[in-house]
Amino acid sequence: MATLTLNDTHTAHHDHAAHGDHGHHKETFLTKYVFSQDHKMIAKQFLITGIFMGVVAMTLSILFRIQLAYPDESFPLLEMLLGKFAPEGRLDPNFYLSLVTIHGTIMVFFVLTAGLSGTFSNLLIPLQLGARDMASPFMNMLSYWFFAIASAIMLATFFIETGPASSGWTIYPPLSALPKAMPGSGLGMTMWLISMVLFVASSLMGGINYVSTVLNMRTKGMDLWKMPLTIWAFFLTAIVGILSFPVLVAAVVLLIFDRSFGTSFYLSDIYIAGQALPNEGGSPVLWQHLFWFLGHPEVYIVLMPALGITSEVIATNARKPIFGYHAMVYSLIGITILSFIVWGHHMFVTGMNPFLGGVFMITTLVIAVPSAVKTFNYLATLWRGNIRFTPAMLFAIGLVSFFISGGLTGIFLGNAALDINLHDTYFVVAHFHLVMGSAAIFGMLSGIYHWFPKMFGKMMDAKLGYLHFWLTFISAYLVFFPMHFMGLDGVPRRYYAFTEFESMSEWLSVNKFITWAAILGAVAQVAFLYNFVYSIFWGKKTVQNPWESTTLEWTTPVEHLHGNWPGEIPTVYRWPYDYSKPGADADFIPQTTPLSETMSSNLPHDFEGNEESERIQLDWEKQNKKELVK
Amino acid sequence: MPTYPQETDRYSLQPKKFIVWLFMISSFIFFAGLTSGFIVYSGDNLAKQLNVKMPDAFIYSTILVIASSISLQWAYIQTKRLNFAKQRLGLWLTIALGVAFTCSQLYGWMVLTGLGAFFTSSNASISFVYVFTLFHILHIIAGLILIIGSIISSYKAVPNVLNIFRMEISIVFWHFVDILWIYLYVFLLLNQ
Amino acid sequence: MKISKYINTKSVFALIAIIGLFVNNLFAQAAATATTAVVDPEKNAYVPKMVTYYLLLFLLVCIVIALIGKILSVYDLTKKVQGAKEGFSWDKFNGILFLLFLVVGLYGAYWSYTVQGAQILPESASEHGVKIDEMFNVTLIITTIVFVVTHILLFVFSYKYSYNKKKRAHFIPHNDTLEKYWTVIPAIVLTILVLLGFFTWRDITNISQDGIRNAIHIEVTGHQFAWEVRYGGKDNVNGRKNYKLIGNLGGLNSLGLDLSDKSNYDDLTVSEIVLPIGKPVRFTLGSKDVLHSFYMPHFRAQMNCVPGMATSFQFTPRLTTADMRDKVNDPNFNYFLLCAKICGGSHYNMKFAVKVVSQKEYDKWLAEQKPLVTAAMIKSYQESLAQKDTKVADNKIALNN
Repeated sequence: MATLTLNDTHTAHHDHAAHGDHGHHKETFLTKYVFSQDHKMIAKQFLITGIFMGVVAMTLSILFRIQLAYPDESFPLLEMLLGKFAPEGRLDPNFYLSLVTIHGTIMVFFVLTAGLSGTFSNLLIPLQLGARDMASPFMNMLSYWFFAIASAIMLATFFIETGPASSGWTIYPPLSALPKAMPGSGLGMTMWLISMVLFVASSLMGGINYVSTVLNMRTKGMDLWKMPLTIWAFFLTAIVGILSFPVLVAAVVLLIFDRSFGTSFYLSDIYIAGQALPNEGGSPVLWQHLFWFLGHPEVYIVLMPALGITSEVIATNARKPIFGYHAMVYSLIGITILSFIVWGHHMFVTGMNPFLGGVFMITTLVIAVPSAVKTFNYLATLWRGNIRFTPAMLFAIGLVSFFISGGLTGIFLGNAALDINLHDTYFVVAHFHLVMGSAAIFGMLSGIYHWFPKMFGKMMDAKLGYLHFWLTFISAYLVFFPMHFMGLDGVPRRYYAFTEFESMSEWLSVNKFITWAAILGAVAQVAFLYNFVYSIFWGKKTVQNPWESTTLEWTTPVEHLHGNWPGEIPTVYRWPYDYSKPGADADFIPQTTPLSETMSSNLPHDFEGNEESERIQLDWEKQNKKELVK
Repeated sequence: MPTYPQETDRYSLQPKKFIVWLFMISSFIFFAGLTSGFIVYSGDNLAKQLNVKMPDAFIYSTILVIASSISLQWAYIQTKRLNFAKQRLGLWLTIALGVAFTCSQLYGWMVLTGLGAFFTSSNASISFVYVFTLFHILHIIAGLILIIGSIISSYKAVPNVLNIFRMEISIVFWHFVDILWIYLYVFLLLNQ
Repeated sequence: MKISKYINTKSVFALIAIIGLFVNNLFAQAAATATTAVVDPEKNAYVPKMVTYYLLLFLLVCIVIALIGKILSVYDLTKKVQGAKEGFSWDKFNGILFLLFLVVGLYGAYWSYTVQGAQILPESASEHGVKIDEMFNVTLIITTIVFVVTHILLFVFSYKYSYNKKKRAHFIPHNDTLEKYWTVIPAIVLTILVLLGFFTWRDITNISQDGIRNAIHIEVTGHQFAWEVRYGGKDNVNGRKNYKLIGNLGGLNSLGLDLSDKSNYDDLTVSEIVLPIGKPVRFTLGSKDVLHSFYMPHFRAQMNCVPGMATSFQFTPRLTTADMRDKVNDPNFNYFLLCAKICGGSHYNMKFAVKVVSQKEYDKWLAEQKPLVTAAMIKSYQESLAQKDTKVADNKIALNN
């Protein structure tokens, strides 16, 4: 049995290690699978929790899609499943908003932040940098368990009397601050806030760990410019997280005081349920400033890891160096910096000073430049490549397509003048579901298919992967493309039904179409889930380097060890993208191969100005001139 | 595999110290978020500006917290000289000063409420003062826990490397909390 | 003890089938117990049937997929046994699919642009909206070109360079000239868009003091879940109000008008917004409870309504309702105002009628509107004043004593 052999090597390794002065404890089930401090196990915990939360959030979206497609029909099944949240088989309007809210929250934070960054940063930072583990494995474990508790609290809100939070994932006060305004702003909102504080704590612990590991624990020879783009992306993502999440905590703390202690940070001049509240002088716009100061960088926290994974997957499978490595890194850095000064574009029509709106419009459109550079670099990487369509590669190409489609509509929304008519319409929904939702999910799936052999020592079934990709890719476009036009017709988002406005009724058929496309997309995920679970237990065993990749993680043995490498940590001699180098025998040269072993393929820039090496290379070339001339 | 344990020793402390620095950055961002929230809130509206004089208690707090930083620094120097008795003395002194600081802050709150500046005020600028100090006190408590950790490792016979490492973490964090208070106090003085 | 031996495709499907049946039974039982509660038992009996139907359908699809998978792997194996160089080339296959996706996808986008694009908002009914629409079209043309070109490149590359054992990829780590081009060109295009957008935005939001004074002043207040609209009346000023006064004057004061302000008395209450064509209107927006968003899509006008903070939006209508009916060829067409910011359970149902008419009709309509401050309110206000006076008098007496 595979797990048995895995255990064997593990204990064997520890017997060796015990000879050192470090004295390991014997691992129990609890320390190995539950409170593990091994970054690879924590990565798997994040991944599986993330996938679980993803399935939950997807199910929620199907529920509200059904309501949008069939606003007048009753589904007794819904009443059976949801009880009083769907009286007489029709969703309650407040519960509809809960579904929308929790779908957004889970997808943005629990799946695409923790599930994506948490999984792959944990897995790849030590492995691709050549470190034994994270800077603080204990904090890493805490990070996972805070996340798990936050997830549990978030899901628990479905089982309380007043239902989950329901004021949108941006929880704008006063709606979120006043339990009288809607049932979801009662206990559900309190739990939402607690869950988010725990989540932020988890993210911060994770992020701090990642940054510290990247800066301090690289192996010999791994300078910053030899890091794979995945690591650059995770590193910058973690920095963005460290700099923006605390602001969300600050905002949430003030909201908690407003909700429970009667302060007036966000509340002013409110008359609700037949009485005037004593709060005066507060400003709801303050919340929006604080929230979006996190909220916008959050978009890049979601997207950048996906872009990093894509860079790696595309280069490996196109058998080509990523085009413009330096430009890719600089554009990531550019995005990181700019992401902090664009938050105001979410607030063009909130009554913010119009001049400020103009400023934010400029910064927002500037951020499109590094994004464009990245897209063109991906295209140039594919050009004259030799592309292997592994499922990971398909998803990476899918990401590029979504990134283009969704990114282009951002040019509309970033323009304050156009935003007047597009703000809070389905155009926005279409935009961010493509560029941040679909693109980031595709990045995550790409990463899962690519590093599954590293995580579980097994291969996933490629054919099911193809089926999964094509169904998901097509359905995502079918779902989100028509939404642009609904937005252009002035249909606002978060509407329970379009029946009250005659002009919107013409979109009913489109809504039905979108719902069925969404159901197709959801069913397609069964192919993935089956493939994932099946492959963990009964998949084909993998070889050490199944994708013939150059990076360090593929130099570790297939069976996991605590400490990653059985012997010394390998030294790094070259950048991570030496694919199809002219003159080399194989079409990839691992980072661990010294330049002295690849004299036939060395290029002048490989030596980084080291004169002695250049001289040796020249001598060698003179000697071997005949061969080179052919 | 002889290399593995050695590498761990070389690596394990430096990155952890770095983690403390990163934590301080993120907690500074938290306060920066709050203070910029204050600026956005009070903005150009005169009615929303801070119209209360900061109590004198805050001046005493400032003196106390600076003194505690000095005593901790002294304890650290003594640790390096292996004068553990003096190290403990310095640490106990710091704890006493930290507790005194907290009390002084609480007294400051009492003075404020005496002036009619309550936490739940219709002018949230005043609420902000309480929020700043409250979360600063939480940081002081965290700092005190670190110092208690240092005391424990000083009484227990832990390896001196670890002892010094814990001292370094406490000292860095305590100075940070100290500077944080000065930042908040100056910020409040400039805005009152 | 090898568990995986017992688990092959067949048994997995058997298990799924069993689980499916079990779930069905469960639903059937749940349905049976639930029938007492639900009024329509016939519909309820329909549920387990429907669930069974879809589950079976899903299982069928799974089986078909599994069969195809098996056939493909058998085909691959036989090819290998026969000594053919390679089995089925999935790389080629996916490359072709990408090409197919490109063609079908571009056609789909074209179809969407023409068919669904025909369902979007008609031309702007406001003057600034025309500028917005122009901007939109410029942006749309640029982005569509980029969209099509990049997708053609992406999918054609995917097809053309799909894996070939004999070939080797071309080693080009970077090309500075090329990179410069595709950094600078987007930067220039974006600069143009930013400038255009900035000026349009400034024109819309920067309105001179004179412009503000000359506009018709209308105040819109949102609450859960309706709008209250008042016109400035003769003096064209919406009088002061205070949220603490809402509901006083015997519950008549729904907006919290401060009756000590004389400019309140001529304010008009309306049941629909009627605007004269070609005259600037300034909407002052507010909210009683939570955030709302004042959104009139046909006028390209949107602004949030924030409790405790007055916001505003000013525009000039350029097409009457009748004009627009001709344009969209729908005799029942009407403008409307809706809420675009999530505000609670009935957020989807905050409609308010809007009409644009000629100046003459407008004057006539305006003359028919009733003042917001009714006689009953004035009476109640005076009573309360009188009470206050007596109270003050009482206090004075008390003080004197």
